[in-house]
Amino acid sequence: MDGFSWIVLSPIKQEIFLSLVGMLLLLVGAFRGKTSVGFIVTAVVVAACGAIAGILSGDWTPIDTLSGMLIVDGFSEWMKVLILSGIVVSLLLSVSWLRENNLLKFEYPILVLFSGVGMLFMVSANNLLSLYVSLELSSLCLYVLAAINRDHLLSSEAGLKYFILGALSSGLLLFGISLVYGYSGTLSYVGISSFLETAESMPYGIMVGMIFMLAGLAFKISAVPFHMWTPDVYHGAPTPVTALFAIVPKVAAFGLIIRLLVGPFAMLAQESAQIIMVISVGSMLVGAFAGLVQNNIKRLLAYSSIANMGYAMLGLLPNVPEGIAGTIIYLTIYMVMVAGVFGILMSLKRNGQSIETISDFAGLSKTSPFMAYAMTALLFSMSGIPPMAGFFGKFFVFQAAIAGGYMVVAVIGVLTSVVAAYYYLRLIKVMFFDESAGNVDENTSLSRHFVTVGALVFVLIFTLLPNHLLQRAIEAATSLFS
Amino acid sequence: MILGYIAVFAPLVAFLLAGILGRKCGDKFSQFVTCTAVLMAAAASVQLFFTVILGSNPHTLPVMTWISSGNFNVDWALRVDQLSVIMMCVINIVSSCVHIYSIGYMSHDESKSRFMAYLSLFTFAMLMLVSADNILQLFFGWEGVGLASYLLIGFWYHKDSATAASIKAFVVNRVGDLGLLLGIFTTFIVFGTIQFDGIFNAVTDHTADRFDFFGYQIHALTLICVLLFVGAVGKSAQLGLHTWLPDAMEGPTPVSALIHAATMVTAGVFLVSRFSPVFEYAPDALMIVCVFGAFTAFVAATIGMTQFDIKRVIAYSTMSQLGYMFFALGVSAYSAAMFHLVTHAFFKALLFLGAGSVIHAMSDEQDMRKMGGIWKKIPVTYAMMWIGSLALAGVPFFAGYYSKDLILESDWASDSPVGHFAYYMGIAAALMTAFYSWRLIIMTFHGKPRADHHTMDHVHESPLVMIVPLLVLAVGAIFSGSVLYGGFAGIPHQKTVESKATEIDEIESEMKEATQDQMEHIIKSESADAIHETVWNKEAFFGKSIVVLPEHDSVAKAHHVEKWVKLLPTIVGAVGIFLAYLAYMFIPSIPAAMVRIFKPLHILFFRKWFFDELYHIVFVKTAAALGTFLWKRGDGQVIDGLGPNGVAALSQKVSTVLSKFQTGFVFQYAFMMMIGLMVLVTWVAHAMGLFDLIPQFLNMR
Amino acid sequence: MASTDFLLNYLPIVVFLGIALGLASVMVLASMLIGRSKPDTEKLSAYECGFEAFDDARRKFDVRFYLVAILFIIFDLEVAFLFPWAVSLGAIGMFGFWSMVVFLTVLTVGLVYEWNKGALDWE
Repeated sequence: MDGFSWIVLSPIKQEIFLSLVGMLLLLVGAFRGKTSVGFIVTAVVVAACGAIAGILSGDWTPIDTLSGMLIVDGFSEWMKVLILSGIVVSLLLSVSWLRENNLLKFEYPILVLFSGVGMLFMVSANNLLSLYVSLELSSLCLYVLAAINRDHLLSSEAGLKYFILGALSSGLLLFGISLVYGYSGTLSYVGISSFLETAESMPYGIMVGMIFMLAGLAFKISAVPFHMWTPDVYHGAPTPVTALFAIVPKVAAFGLIIRLLVGPFAMLAQESAQIIMVISVGSMLVGAFAGLVQNNIKRLLAYSSIANMGYAMLGLLPNVPEGIAGTIIYLTIYMVMVAGVFGILMSLKRNGQSIETISDFAGLSKTSPFMAYAMTALLFSMSGIPPMAGFFGKFFVFQAAIAGGYMVVAVIGVLTSVVAAYYYLRLIKVMFFDESAGNVDENTSLSRHFVTVGALVFVLIFTLLPNHLLQRAIEAATSLFS
Repeated sequence: MILGYIAVFAPLVAFLLAGILGRKCGDKFSQFVTCTAVLMAAAASVQLFFTVILGSNPHTLPVMTWISSGNFNVDWALRVDQLSVIMMCVINIVSSCVHIYSIGYMSHDESKSRFMAYLSLFTFAMLMLVSADNILQLFFGWEGVGLASYLLIGFWYHKDSATAASIKAFVVNRVGDLGLLLGIFTTFIVFGTIQFDGIFNAVTDHTADRFDFFGYQIHALTLICVLLFVGAVGKSAQLGLHTWLPDAMEGPTPVSALIHAATMVTAGVFLVSRFSPVFEYAPDALMIVCVFGAFTAFVAATIGMTQFDIKRVIAYSTMSQLGYMFFALGVSAYSAAMFHLVTHAFFKALLFLGAGSVIHAMSDEQDMRKMGGIWKKIPVTYAMMWIGSLALAGVPFFAGYYSKDLILESDWASDSPVGHFAYYMGIAAALMTAFYSWRLIIMTFHGKPRADHHTMDHVHESPLVMIVPLLVLAVGAIFSGSVLYGGFAGIPHQKTVESKATEIDEIESEMKEATQDQMEHIIKSESADAIHETVWNKEAFFGKSIVVLPEHDSVAKAHHVEKWVKLLPTIVGAVGIFLAYLAYMFIPSIPAAMVRIFKPLHILFFRKWFFDELYHIVFVKTAAALGTFLWKRGDGQVIDGLGPNGVAALSQKVSTVLSKFQTGFVFQYAFMMMIGLMVLVTWVAHAMGLFDLIPQFLNMR
Repeated sequence: MASTDFLLNYLPIVVFLGIALGLASVMVLASMLIGRSKPDTEKLSAYECGFEAFDDARRKFDVRFYLVAILFIIFDLEVAFLFPWAVSLGAIGMFGFWSMVVFLTVLTVGLVYEWNKGALDWE
């Protein structure tokens, strides 16, 4: 048992715990069938909460384990808390919606949990192999989730598209990994990093490999030009799955990218900054402009998420802890806002039918004032209007970009956020000034309500605590550089 | 020391109390608070008159640091020197009269609190203006009075004409204010400070400074003075920017008396006097001031002869008298101008309040053609109007006689072409002044009643609360000239300083026991007694607050002009009065005949020299046309077209194009990804300069 | 000649390639030479089951074929994984052993699940 001593396993005890829970629940589901759904959901939520508690109470000193395959440090712990919270929140949002739409299969929470486990491994991957395996673990679950409503044309189409393009992106990633491995002779982050430090001339092969890897990962965060799947999948997938897609996987993929950029490819910072810059500017532009003509709220949110990923990447440009802290905070705030928006979106139903298009929101301020005002606050926050949380997110990343000398990019960011403000504000205008489109049904789900109110409170009171949060984020980011 | 603060800040406190609590605590409260405060301020400023001017104790009271930015520091301080104390006395005394008068005059109005609050606000702003220690503070006061004036002209905001007049006053004043602002900027550039002391002490170092302006060499001090004078032209309704003043008569009559006769419009005179140390070194600017003043005095008087609205006649008279003050300033006779300012404040406020009393009696009728035959019904008002007119026309031993004669003599004594020109214009204006004053009295009070029975039955003497202020002002209109003549004109002094000081102490001790109204009389009588034995020296009276170069001292020379120069103003005044009697009482056909014979001239005068029409064509229409152009073409088509609408349309187009890419076909998505990947690789290679290395590779082969 | 040494490491692969190629060729040739050929439509169709190999790509087909194929691949790979593990067990020690146990456990859970879901039943 020398290989499996507690010292080796203890840093990843949360992941192990969750995997075991997942497999047990799978067996429970397999034997008990549909009747066990409630229990499984509860168990997954409880287990995830337990894991969060375990991480928060644990030691955040950096340590690598399993022969350097994984690393656990402040950054990964922060990201893990985000991911697990995202999982919990998206489950809380999903359950009643799925039940109402007769989609609640016992596999759903288990798939979410497994993809979550994959993401947990992603953010602590310290080796190209563990990177790939963890990425695939989470992705495969997500492919299935996208098509979970398999009798529905759009949903299965979304799942198929996501799967095919995801496979393509995995191919790019693998090809990149193989290039890097071929030129450096190692898969370990530390090894690549030290190889690059001692390399005499510019290793172009590794550079190209890095571009391929980043392209593959850019797909996961739906950055331009690898974003094409996003609107279709967001649109086609059942709303809870869309919420999950919007909330969680991007954080994990970001964690992966950040670790790659500051770890093995730190010596290629100039080159990677060029890539990030192009991707970021493209995402901001496409996200802002293409969203203008969308009528479906889920497609709109897809473009919104593309744009937001562009902003989040701004913080990565200078490759310093402050910038990465900005990105982390941006992602945190973005998660909360999106969770709130989806909470409202799923609560709104008219005659049992989910609201999908923007015109369905007409006159919401009269029929359902709380929802309208909560939505307004969240949308203001998303368009970056102070003193809402979204403003601080944008502020931190712009600040980081400008401090790093990327003035032009920051200016483009500000301008596109003006353009993007249009579609957020249009929704507000529709809710408050348009003729009512009829009454909406009463929201019956307590958990959904809980999430919405929580997001709202966070967005509103964030202005009181940015410094504290920023401090913690900088600590987490600094742990990457040690 | 505390007196200075009381004199300035009591009205502010009153304004805040009346403005904030007025609605809750009622009109009585507001009236009480504002009147008390202004009376306190008046008492304090009279006390200051004794300590500062007679006691030669000018001082500066700090309030707070206003702006501190780099090496640009502006302190907020009260400059209590002779010049400002004279202004404070005038302002506070007239203001208290007007405040008390307003209680009666506005008794039928619904928003008394608001009115009283505005009056106090105005008083405070005006005091701020005169007690300023730097130009910025002066500008603050300057704009403050402009605001108060705007609010009060448009007090009856439901009347279209009143709001139009208030806007006109504000806009026309902006033109002048621009000049003043530019003057302030220029001063700062030249002197590097905006503190009065700093500027005045450094003037002699900058006499040779010049600006290079498109190849022209411009004398810096002249430029400053001209720009400041532009400000003065606006505020003091000198020719060119005067059109707002007659229209401002839309405001309630007490406002006209306080703002548009006694105090605010004299701010320009005060400004030039305050900057006398600078103006003294800018003779060209003085010349401009003089010419402007002369023309204004003449033109306004011609218009005044033809108007029928009782308040407009007095308004043009005010403008004309302001012209006198300016052409006095133009020959360095600052003290003469200030003298006329003081006397004019009394008799013109008296005339306005008297006119207000008439209007009040006539049930808000202002047209003189509908008055007449009422002198027996309102004898006190009638007497007051007489006193005011006598003072205005410069009849001997009334206030106006001393000041107006001093101005005209100074102009003659200056011995310059512009001075002589101004003298003759002034004489002509004096003739007309006397004429229109008696025209006003006769048309208003004498002859057959031309109003309907209903109005005539209601004609009544005003209540005591309106009469008492008139009496106080009448005392000023009668005695202020003779009492103060020594101080302003400067007859060689005979008494020692010590004896003067003891006398002051006596007066002060009496003052402390006296109430305000009595105090007015006491001051006047005491001073009147004193004048025969004591004569104040001009230099001591003004101290260093006014600077006159010895070679410019026309006031000193004014005592030695020829006899006819001294007599002529009085004679033309008498002639004017006689002509008025002739034309309007004895041979009533004359005016009509004159109008017939001099038809073009009459039209010119009656239509106010076509200034309004001219401005309408030149400025209003062009501005409107330009505005329309900029609105429709500039803003609508260019800015909106390229800006919001254009960008929005472009965004929509971009958006549509982008969504065309979203075909839904997986193979196209995959294709996009591959293209994107290639672009990325190429971009990075390009950014890292790899393409530049290709030739090297080729050469290696 | 370091590169030669390096390439020598891959010699077994070349050998295996040769063996595979030879074996496949021998089998194909043998069946051509030895086997008696009496073709009919049933015999010529692929595996005598499923659907036409060369047909319209958009034709509907039974998804159960794929299910079976995918499940087969999983266990096929498991075996492919087990062979090298079995060979090198001595070198990788207990760590390797327990890793494989974990792997097999996970696979077993999957098998139980699919069995219970009825994925292994044709009907």
